Amino acid sequence: MSPVIIILCVVSAVLALTMLFTKSPITSALCLLGVLIMTAAVYGLIGEHLVATIQLVVYAGAIMVLFIFSIMLLNLTEGENDFKQNPAVFIAGIALGLAAFGAIAYAIIRHFATHAAGKEMGIYSPEKIAELGGNSIVLSHALFSQFYVSFEVISLALLVAVVGAVVLAKRKVD
Amino acid sequence: MENQLIFDLTMMVAKILVIIACTLGLAPFIVWFERRGAAWMQRRVGPNRVGPFGLLQSLADVMKFAFKETFIPKNANKFYYFMAPILALIAPMCALAVIPFGSKIIVNGQEVVLQVAQMDTGVIFVLAFAGLEVYPIILAGWASRNKYSVLGALRGSSQIVSYEISMGLALLSMLIVYGSFNPHDMVSWQNGTLFGFLPRWGALVNPFGALVFWIATFAETNRLPFDLPEGESELVAGYHVEYGGMRFASFFMAEYVAMIMASALLVTMFFGGYNMFPGMGILVEVIGNKMSFGEIGLQNTKAFFEFASFFVKVSFFMFVMVWIRWTLPRFRFDQLMDLGWKILFPLSLINLVLVTIGVYYFNS
Repeated sequence: MSPVIIILCVVSAVLALTMLFTKSPITSALCLLGVLIMTAAVYGLIGEHLVATIQLVVYAGAIMVLFIFSIMLLNLTEGENDFKQNPAVFIAGIALGLAAFGAIAYAIIRHFATHAAGKEMGIYSPEKIAELGGNSIVLSHALFSQFYVSFEVISLALLVAVVGAVVLAKRKVD
Repeated sequence: MENQLIFDLTMMVAKILVIIACTLGLAPFIVWFERRGAAWMQRRVGPNRVGPFGLLQSLADVMKFAFKETFIPKNANKFYYFMAPILALIAPMCALAVIPFGSKIIVNGQEVVLQVAQMDTGVIFVLAFAGLEVYPIILAGWASRNKYSVLGALRGSSQIVSYEISMGLALLSMLIVYGSFNPHDMVSWQNGTLFGFLPRWGALVNPFGALVFWIATFAETNRLPFDLPEGESELVAGYHVEYGGMRFASFFMAEYVAMIMASALLVTMFFGGYNMFPGMGILVEVIGNKMSFGEIGLQNTKAFFEFASFFVKVSFFMFVMVWIRWTLPRFRFDQLMDLGWKILFPLSLINLVLVTIGVYYFNS
């Protein structure tokens, strides 16, 4: 692993912790933005340019703008100091988070262990992808042929979510 | 091995320096050009006292900015207040990294591609950083703790977010034509002729896409007729109302860098990129024969002319931006939103469908 990636990982870990423990909503949102950008940088450094770019376009460029926009519009600065932490909930939250982290870490380590043994490899090796003309072409072909139906179903699910959000917001206004 | 590393490092630094010289280095000159152009269009004289033709006026302005008092509003959030102008400059500079400004030169027997970041996803990367241009605006408005800057930030960010959609759709229609994200592929696609005499530029293949994209770039860079985030003559200013001195100057420079970036993207996508103007190819041949250059010299001469063509094209679109500023009056904010959502958005969607059908028809 290159030292640059390690620095990026450390910075993103610090930002993630700041996001958790800060009391100002805008700092929290901006730290999350920082984590997303750092993750995109790590993707870029390991050569996965497409994932890095999509991460920037979708998460950093669209979703976080919405977050920060709503924080600014609602002007949450007033309630900043009223935020009380319930110790029991806090400890339970930390325990749950650690459990989820442990499960994911276990799954990833197991996955890489099987990789090292040469089992269960996917059909796309880096050489194969380069031969087929790069990540974006391979991904587009897979997305619009093999996984076309699931892709469309996901977009339908997103549409349902948008309609649901509008309905919920409207009921409050009326 | 060691030499290769030094060569790569020098090459990268040199390319980045070219980008910085052509954006931040030229920004004062562009400001001068804008003021002189404005004066010329209004039959005034314009700045002509400092230096020959007033060329050093920008230098004097920079000195003035640098020596101004550093002022921080009382209730401002200091950290974000300082961070916003820095972020404002970072986003458009990063986007310029994937714009190619020439094909390649040959140095020391090695090919040097004239583009800082050679990425698989090229144009999408530009779009990603165009999306990040919203943050400095929101942050600056919010951190100054001033109602007018928050309102200005809301105006600015909603405008940028709205026009990004039509811009993205216009870009998408061109991606379908080129079938690639890579700017080099796009430029080489445009290196042909239509009907034997017209250059095969994206703007002539997909004129509506080009028009929508061009209009959207004006809104994205806060230029007149869409400069509502600033509104110099009617309002105080927008999100940067609380900024003074060099920090205001960095917002100002960021706007010019964003203009250069938008023009460069427009040229790359729709106006042939670094392809040479018709007739320049013959010129390169003539020069090559006269000076008896080898293969390498010919390629380097070609790269020089490609860079010159790209530079001239980008400068032309910068000039048009100044030109339009003094031709069209400013829109009202609801008119701006109507234009973005009710005209450009449906138009770019229809155009996308038509282009898709056209590409399918021509490719089968």
